[in-house]
Amino acid sequence: MARILIVDDSRTSRKILRGLLEESGHEVVAEAENGEDGVEKYKEFKPDVTTLDITMPVMDGLQALSKIKEFDSGAKVIMVTAAGQQNKMVEAIKNGASEFVTKPFEKENILKIIEKM
Amino acid sequence: MISRLLGSYLLKEGKLTAEQLETVYETMRKVRVKLGIIAISEKMMTTEQSDEVNRLQAIVDKRFGDIAVEKGYLTNEQVTRLLGLQGNQYLSFVQSIVDNEFMDVKDIEEALLDYKNSNGFTATDIEALKSGDSDRIVPIFLPQNTVEYQLDYVLICIRTLIRLIDADVYIGKGYFTDYLDVNYYAMQSLDGDNKASMAFTAEGKEILALADAFAGEKFDNVDADSLDSAAEFINCVNGLFATNVSSKFAIDMLPPEYCETSAKFTGKILVLPLYIQGKEVKLITSFGDFINK
Repeated sequence: MARILIVDDSRTSRKILRGLLEESGHEVVAEAENGEDGVEKYKEFKPDVTTLDITMPVMDGLQALSKIKEFDSGAKVIMVTAAGQQNKMVEAIKNGASEFVTKPFEKENILKIIEKM
Repeated sequence: MISRLLGSYLLKEGKLTAEQLETVYETMRKVRVKLGIIAISEKMMTTEQSDEVNRLQAIVDKRFGDIAVEKGYLTNEQVTRLLGLQGNQYLSFVQSIVDNEFMDVKDIEEALLDYKNSNGFTATDIEALKSGDSDRIVPIFLPQNTVEYQLDYVLICIRTLIRLIDADVYIGKGYFTDYLDVNYYAMQSLDGDNKASMAFTAEGKEILALADAFAGEKFDNVDADSLDSAAEFINCVNGLFATNVSSKFAIDMLPPEYCETSAKFTGKILVLPLYIQGKEVKLITSFGDFINK
């Protein structure tokens, strides 16, 4: 079971995602509500997997991804976004994101991706 | 949508009581089956294929039948046959009223004529209503000068509401305004070649019907938690819209936002009353520029 960090500005999304993950036995070690806080939490908790929303205030998911990768090039990061952000998803994959999932969350899909990682 | 629109009219006019109307809807619910279920029982699709199409509906703004055809699971002819088996919602509504002996067909037709006249609808509009197809119904409730992209924007929102929040959502007459006082709001804007904004508000706690269904929990108040849920719903709608238009113009999604206190919206704003679980909320959109607040 993985230790997971959730980075998303929406408390609804964080709550839904936490529920899905904990129900399946994963441990959510921390949550962050923007990219800047997410990078700090990554350094503090060193999770197995990080879910990173793309559209966030203060520091968006793409910037946070770069900072996390600078700190730990082996970081496993799943980008999370609503549909319609294809260009940003491609950019994220180029910058080292392992996978991406779209909102609204689809439980089986997310769990399959985490297992694969 | 047509059953809810006509049902609320018949209730308002005293042709049906609230109890009778609920009986009518209950009868309809018992016989209304989802297209995927019919396709499985008709052995046209497997359960896995149907589940896959349902999953895809969450990320692409397309109907079940359209996706199934694209994936090669159904032919257009099969979709037409399945829709025929599923039945027309207007006819189901009429049949349910008649079967329950609340009104006869002639009375219903007369009530429909009154409904047409009181709303200034044309015969073509009534045909659209009777089709039961929300894509044909919604445009007749929007102002005539609604541009095509804004119509698409609203349609995507309503289709997503039907799919994720309330299959029986219905609408009131939309109008353009230059300003609007709101008690609170959830909103997200799109930047790029064509700016746009989408927001939800309501008089009181009605927005909780949307927030509860999206988050899958019961909120007690209009606060940061419930408005965040409404804003995330908008985020999903905007994502689908951005996907649809991304080949035509550049679009960038800004972070969703919400405000728990009153505000004044200005701009060229389209206001559309929506009824979610029977509760009135306002869907507010702008296209070409942001909603200013």
